[in-house]
Amino acid sequence: MVVAALLLPLLACTGPDSDSLTVFAASSLTDVLPALADAYEAETGIAVTAVYGGSNHLTGQLRDGAPADVFLTADARLLGRLETRGETVDFATNHLVVAVPAGNPAAVTGASDLARADMRVVVCAETVPCGAATARMGIVIEADSREISVRAVLSRLALGEADAGVVYATDVAAEPGVELAWPQPEACPCVVYAAAAITDRARSFIGFLTSPTAQETLALHGFSIGAPG
Amino acid sequence: MRPPRPVLAVATVAVVFLTLPVIGLAQRTPWSSLGDLLGRQSVVQPLVLSLTVSVAAALVIVVLGTPLAWTLARVDIPGRRIIRALVLLPMVLPPVVGGTALLFALGRRGLVGQWLDRWFGLTLPFTTAGAVVAAVFVALPFYVIAVEGALESGSDELEQMAGTLGAGPLQVLRRITLPRLLPAMGAGVALAWARALGEFGATITFAGNLPGRTQTLPLATFLALESDPEEAIALSLVMLTVSLAVLIPMRDRWLPGRRPSR
Repeated sequence: MVVAALLLPLLACTGPDSDSLTVFAASSLTDVLPALADAYEAETGIAVTAVYGGSNHLTGQLRDGAPADVFLTADARLLGRLETRGETVDFATNHLVVAVPAGNPAAVTGASDLARADMRVVVCAETVPCGAATARMGIVIEADSREISVRAVLSRLALGEADAGVVYATDVAAEPGVELAWPQPEACPCVVYAAAAITDRARSFIGFLTSPTAQETLALHGFSIGAPG
Repeated sequence: MRPPRPVLAVATVAVVFLTLPVIGLAQRTPWSSLGDLLGRQSVVQPLVLSLTVSVAAALVIVVLGTPLAWTLARVDIPGRRIIRALVLLPMVLPPVVGGTALLFALGRRGLVGQWLDRWFGLTLPFTTAGAVVAAVFVALPFYVIAVEGALESGSDELEQMAGTLGAGPLQVLRRITLPRLLPAMGAGVALAWARALGEFGATITFAGNLPGRTQTLPLATFLALESDPEEAIALSLVMLTVSLAVLIPMRDRWLPGRRPSR
């Protein structure tokens, strides 16, 4: 009884809140979502609470009933495992690049360096979208660690623990401690971000993501916008 | 004395609470394909690595922790309370923070790590040794607490007597203190080893995640949960079995509070 009395008020905290939306977002959206949320709140007065994580991990949580209104995933295929409301919307794309700590201390100059045993290379685990996309890049990588999110790879580079790593172009733009290993053209839109409504209240946010304001913000953070190719 | 009913009732609730998740795990286990799952390289490899890492960590912990516990319990050093608080810090520090702190200290650009790299070409992150370091960091306090407690509660009359009879300090330590300390050391090792076996956060942030090198059972389980839940359950069962197999015999021999069997 005492235990129940202690826990019940905490359970009540998860109920829906009419003037706020909970958004589950792929961790590569960490830098851009706060700006999007601010713009959305300015337009609608609805506050956004963001929860970041690997898209697969978040999918698992949503399947187990985590209280979210919107899911922004870096892998649209994951949505097949969820019950969503209405149509899903592709709202931005991103591509992978080979990045190094600022100053390129290990002098990485080309893709062949990633296969060298003496080079410390860090990539995403294949269970997260950036890792699956890395595997599709078609370069031979002798990895020293497979991290559970792209932010972890980025942190390894920023801390100088790794000589090179594969991250999103937007991560390089956002993190001053990290730079492109060599000039890399926008090879492919390897990752397409899809937005899905988990509750009916979420539809206006989904619509907002393709509005000019939101698309401009995304472009400013280095995402590719428009119809994904 | 007849045990009071309300106490028994609450104790039962607590036991049910602790065992329910294990039952949940067991009822989702694909028993028919378990044999096949357990033979997989992706299960065997992290198991072997986890045993290696946790046993190595336990050895380091005994070597480092025993003198530390003895000093904290027996030597009147200034600032002892502060030192003790610092020693116990890893118990309350979130392991992920501990792992990051280890990077700042022992990483390639860390406070000490940069010199290890420059002078000896040694770097700990992304190596099995790094996984051992992470495990030692989080598990050492469990051992120190157990041993220090025993040293403090055990009276030192025998030791003083041996001293007056002409035994040197090291002889007293070897012949009197250590033998009487063995049960507490056993209990401390069991606790610390179990903590090292389950270590996740500090390992993944400090040592990284590479199969065969730094991917221990908890890391493999976490990753498998997203790609292959049945394998994750198999990995969890392996951990459960290994720790029970070690802790149950230890409980009888070493852990405090044992009673003669009735």
